[in-house]
Amino acid sequence: MPFTLLTSRMVEAQVLPGQTLFSQRGAMLAYRGDVRFTPSITGGQRGVRGMIGRRIADEDTPLMTVEGQGTVMFGHGGHHVHVIDLVGDTLYVESDRLLAFDGSLRQGTMFMGSQGGVMGMVRGQVTGQGLFTTTLEGHGSAAVMAHGGVLELPIDQGRPVHVDPQAYVAHRGDVRNKLSTAIGWREMVGRGSGEAFQLELSGTGMVYVQASEEKL
Amino acid sequence: MNGPVIHDAWTLPVDDNINPYAFSVDLNGQWFLQKGKMVAYYGQIDFHGVGLGHLDHLIAYSFHSPLHAADWVVAEGQGKMVLADRAFDVNSYDLEDGNLSIRSGNLLAFQPSLSLKQSIVPGFLTLLGTGKFVAASNGPVVFMEPPIRVDPQALVGWADCPTPCHHYDHQYLRGFLGAIRSRTGLGGASGEEHQFEFVGAGTVLLQSTEEVVAEISVGETGGTGS
Repeated sequence: MPFTLLTSRMVEAQVLPGQTLFSQRGAMLAYRGDVRFTPSITGGQRGVRGMIGRRIADEDTPLMTVEGQGTVMFGHGGHHVHVIDLVGDTLYVESDRLLAFDGSLRQGTMFMGSQGGVMGMVRGQVTGQGLFTTTLEGHGSAAVMAHGGVLELPIDQGRPVHVDPQAYVAHRGDVRNKLSTAIGWREMVGRGSGEAFQLELSGTGMVYVQASEEKL
Repeated sequence: MNGPVIHDAWTLPVDDNINPYAFSVDLNGQWFLQKGKMVAYYGQIDFHGVGLGHLDHLIAYSFHSPLHAADWVVAEGQGKMVLADRAFDVNSYDLEDGNLSIRSGNLLAFQPSLSLKQSIVPGFLTLLGTGKFVAASNGPVVFMEPPIRVDPQALVGWADCPTPCHHYDHQYLRGFLGAIRSRTGLGGASGEEHQFEFVGAGTVLLQSTEEVVAEISVGETGGTGS
């Protein structure tokens, strides 16, 4: 676990020799020791193929690699930071929400259609995720940004969780999600509740929700 | 506790935070105050512009920054004065025969027992002496000990340590990939080439984000850009 929260919006990371950390460019606030920051041309892992994949998927947030020995403080835009520890499972998150993550995590991109077909693609449009999202897999930690604090809502078998698409931050585990619509005649005459679209997550896992409907 | 807490002139805190974003000053005499940072007050308080009238000797004693004179007023009288700044985190700090430099936009108010000067680092003010001051920060403040290198935008201030120096890191431009990067611009910059470096004994105050508390002219509203 290399990340420690210093305040609700600032995280401290331990950097050890031989271990790489990825972080969003410009998100370093301070550091101690001998630490190097190198812009990652390919924007992350898996070389040029990974880069092309991310460019196509629009998940190519500029990253830098952080190496050396010391401690680094990260924070960005006054957003709240939430540390997620992965133990072999997969985290699904938008790349621009990733403040920093362990180099030991495998970074990939996922087509939204592969989790729920066409409705998955529609869901991507509504949540602002687009057609693709970033996946992190393996053992390690990730620091994720959110507007307002983050709630962790567990998803159990037979107990789905409904989330406002705008408040959705990330999810992990074996989760199917679909967009449920509740559009009736009220929406048609402009008297809707403002909650016409909801994200329904079912299966087993965890969903991370921010205390705000404002996207990053 | 349920519902909002209702304060009156007697239950307002004495020189303490009301919540993370508002601070209550128990005024009995004079305080220096940056214009526009007072949001409410109880009692008899007059606000005089710096550089005018009968407060000449006070200003001569504790205000030595003509550059910022137009942005400051003296609050004089008795009562409770509530300070806040665009919902930024607000905190008070005590100096005891000390020195502290702070980003000029972050300083809200200070006691006249302190004396205000311009720091050698542009955009920063230095407070000398003994007394209390109130400062805002974008996110809670974290105290760090040197040696440390700090993103200039995340820096709120520093106390009791030597003035920082610039640190430039272009190590990533070395080597084969670095040469391509510096010639072609491909791969971009890390955004972390420049830091303020602090050494020696003291304390460095950091805010939790690299978004500075922007100075706004009096009369403007909003203006944080979101």
